[in-house]
Amino acid sequence: MPERLPEKRQSLASRLLKPQFVMVYATIGIFILIYIYGAVRYSSIGFTTLRTFINMFKDNAYYGISAVGMTMVLITGGIDLSVASVACLTGMIVAYGTTVLGYHPAVCMVVALVVGVGLGLLQGAAIHYLNVPPFITTLAGNFLARGVCSLISRESISISHPMIDALAGWKWYIKKYVDGEWVKIKPIAFINVNLFVFILMIVLGTIILHRTKFGRNIYAIGGNEQSAKLMGLPVGKTKILVYGFNGFCSVLAGLAYLLEVKSGWNLALNGGELEAISCAVIGGTLLTGGVGYMIGTLFGVLLKSVIPALITFNGSLLSWWGKIATGGLLALFIVIQRIVVTASERRKDAKVKT
Amino acid sequence: MPDQYLLEMKGIEIQFPGVKALDNVDFFLKKGEIHSLLGENGAGKSTLIKCLTGVHHMDAGTILFDGKEIRPTSPQDAFSMGISTVYQEINLCPNLTVAENIFVGRQPMRHGGINWKEINRRAKELMSRFHMDIDVTRPLNHYSTAIQQMVSIARAVDIDAKVLILDEPTSSLDDNEVKLLFDVMNELKAEGMGIIFITHFLDQVFAVSDRLTILRNGTLVGTYDIHDITKLQLVTYMIGKDMDAIFNLKRADVAPDAPEMLKVENLGAPGQIENVNLSVKKGELVGFAGLLGSGRTETAELIFGAVPATEGTESVNGKQVAIKKPIDAIMSKLAFCPEDRKRDGIIGDLSIRENIALALQARRGFMKPISLQEQNEMADKYIKLLSIATPDAEKKIGELSGGNQQKVILARWMATQPDLLILDEPTRGIDVGAKAEIQRLMLEMCNDGVSVIFISSELDEVIRCSNRIIVLRDGKLVGEVNGEDCTQQMILNIIAEGTQEGVPA
Repeated sequence: MPERLPEKRQSLASRLLKPQFVMVYATIGIFILIYIYGAVRYSSIGFTTLRTFINMFKDNAYYGISAVGMTMVLITGGIDLSVASVACLTGMIVAYGTTVLGYHPAVCMVVALVVGVGLGLLQGAAIHYLNVPPFITTLAGNFLARGVCSLISRESISISHPMIDALAGWKWYIKKYVDGEWVKIKPIAFINVNLFVFILMIVLGTIILHRTKFGRNIYAIGGNEQSAKLMGLPVGKTKILVYGFNGFCSVLAGLAYLLEVKSGWNLALNGGELEAISCAVIGGTLLTGGVGYMIGTLFGVLLKSVIPALITFNGSLLSWWGKIATGGLLALFIVIQRIVVTASERRKDAKVKT
Repeated sequence: MPDQYLLEMKGIEIQFPGVKALDNVDFFLKKGEIHSLLGENGAGKSTLIKCLTGVHHMDAGTILFDGKEIRPTSPQDAFSMGISTVYQEINLCPNLTVAENIFVGRQPMRHGGINWKEINRRAKELMSRFHMDIDVTRPLNHYSTAIQQMVSIARAVDIDAKVLILDEPTSSLDDNEVKLLFDVMNELKAEGMGIIFITHFLDQVFAVSDRLTILRNGTLVGTYDIHDITKLQLVTYMIGKDMDAIFNLKRADVAPDAPEMLKVENLGAPGQIENVNLSVKKGELVGFAGLLGSGRTETAELIFGAVPATEGTESVNGKQVAIKKPIDAIMSKLAFCPEDRKRDGIIGDLSIRENIALALQARRGFMKPISLQEQNEMADKYIKLLSIATPDAEKKIGELSGGNQQKVILARWMATQPDLLILDEPTRGIDVGAKAEIQRLMLEMCNDGVSVIFISSELDEVIRCSNRIIVLRDGKLVGEVNGEDCTQQMILNIIAEGTQEGVPA
């Protein structure tokens, strides 16, 4: 059908300039600006190497994994404060199960998965059926999971098992093709399990959000839950599954953290839920729901990692400047969000009045 | 011959705690007809519809759809049987695109994923069938209410709907948009769809329906062919009273030497509205006329301090006052019922009693709480005075019908015993009977010495009630007409010309 062709050509440009993408562009833009700044100032000491770039993902991979699930929860208009405690609980279960009880870590991981996903589903059910605000429900979940962590052990339990060591030690080196053979690039850069899982989850999250009915229902619920209900969408099921999926992400994040520290500690990742939330928000996810993209969250994680990286490269700044910068960034993004939302509301008002 | 009907609802009864919402109601819908469902607020229209869409469950009665008995358990269930509903409020997701709003929940799939191309293509086709050539990949909130309404209808009819219920679809549309909607309705009718049309606008009933059914107090008055009934009969049937008694309202008398209640000079908030000059006498009813967006509401908000004025002066009872925010206005014995009662007026989860006490409490300050006893007396008094239909004062206001909510808001401000009451579209979206009652109350208040500023889009009601009518255009006061000898044409002329013709201010 030839008459559709011109329209298609036009829609590519207009598709990229949709107002709902503004926040994602802002995140990517600010990341690039900061990165260029670092590149100009510190390229001589290796800021621009692939190794530094990959480390930015790697250092925060467990927050990134959690942020994938968190993004979905936030898009529904909810929030989940239990993620860090569930991640911590995962570490405790695997460490205690392996080191103290002597089970195979794989068994412990399955148990952790059942516990994490189960708690997520339970929270979702409480939010939907009992109409308890997500903030309260997951705050309770947070205390509950953290309490169970302390119940298991109040000491740090280190873990030493061939499987864990193998997973933690797995590296996929970035190589280049020189003179007929593959050699590791210098300085050495590699992808580990955590980074691999993080990227996998971002891809999975994107597919879920944009290619499945379940994903679209998440957006619809965030846009207007009442309408979603009246449009005949399975609101309850979707919400419960979103919290369940977020529980799954929390468990994965907990495992990723476990691989990093190889121990379980009942106070680990304290306040980590806010890290995950801020990654999503900096990435353009609206706390009021309805808007958010995985690619934004990916850059949210990057943006949160590039600042500490800059501070490390600077060498003379104290590390908590990183926190201050992140706080400032978060404030800035919330202001931008408000402006974007208000502007689109005003445009609509103007339309109605004409 | 019963099998000629698409939908037969027989002997429907629904019992709510304390009231019988529907009592032995019959409703028959033919294939390919537009059937209006009429009645005052609380007559049972919505209840009947909700019974059909599975929101409420019948206590007695049967529903035959295409000759088979059905019992929908949820809107989803009814939807899947082919009964679609478009509500007054847009029930779509503002963040999704137009195309997605039409297809969400039943997206065409391809290779295990959503087929976006197909969605956008089919949405475009559907919308152009409704004569709307728009970019369907834009988010819904990019478009006006009228277009959003069309999108709801597109969503409703895209499935194999046989019955389409339109619940007050026109209340936020302008004339052209209504005409467009009617065209679409007639097209759907020609395709054999049965359409149930609910509206408060009687002209629209006569413009588009084939038949109509009237309900009153949960009982059936009758079903009539549109050619067999006149408008006057219709209204009489709806309210069960003679119209004349209601519409025979006497304008308030204002003594020529009545003191000036409100004087506003050069009041303005730059960028929004400027140079407002206005004076209202004690006991006078001043109407604001003008098109939507002409600045009527903005002017009222300026006077009330909801939009802070940065220039000009305002005097109440001869004393100059500084009104920077609504509480200042409340302190000066001004009162304001806003236009959008759902958003700016009622607090849905509070009871009638609490909603009534709000403004008075605000004026007293939180240090001097109104005792429960006082609140109860007040609530009971106004429920009786304004004949608010409720079992008791503790019912949540959100559960009342629109007309009754409006009365509660009115009571809230009457309780503050204001000197000046500003009413912004108090009669929008409520039925004839309640409208007349609100008008009567307004006039009674004027006779008691309260000044009223009355804003309405319906010229005839402004003319019927006002002592003086101020015409606005493009954010300016452009003319003033005496209420007694005013005609619609005079006001329309002023709006069109934008100048003061002959009538001195």
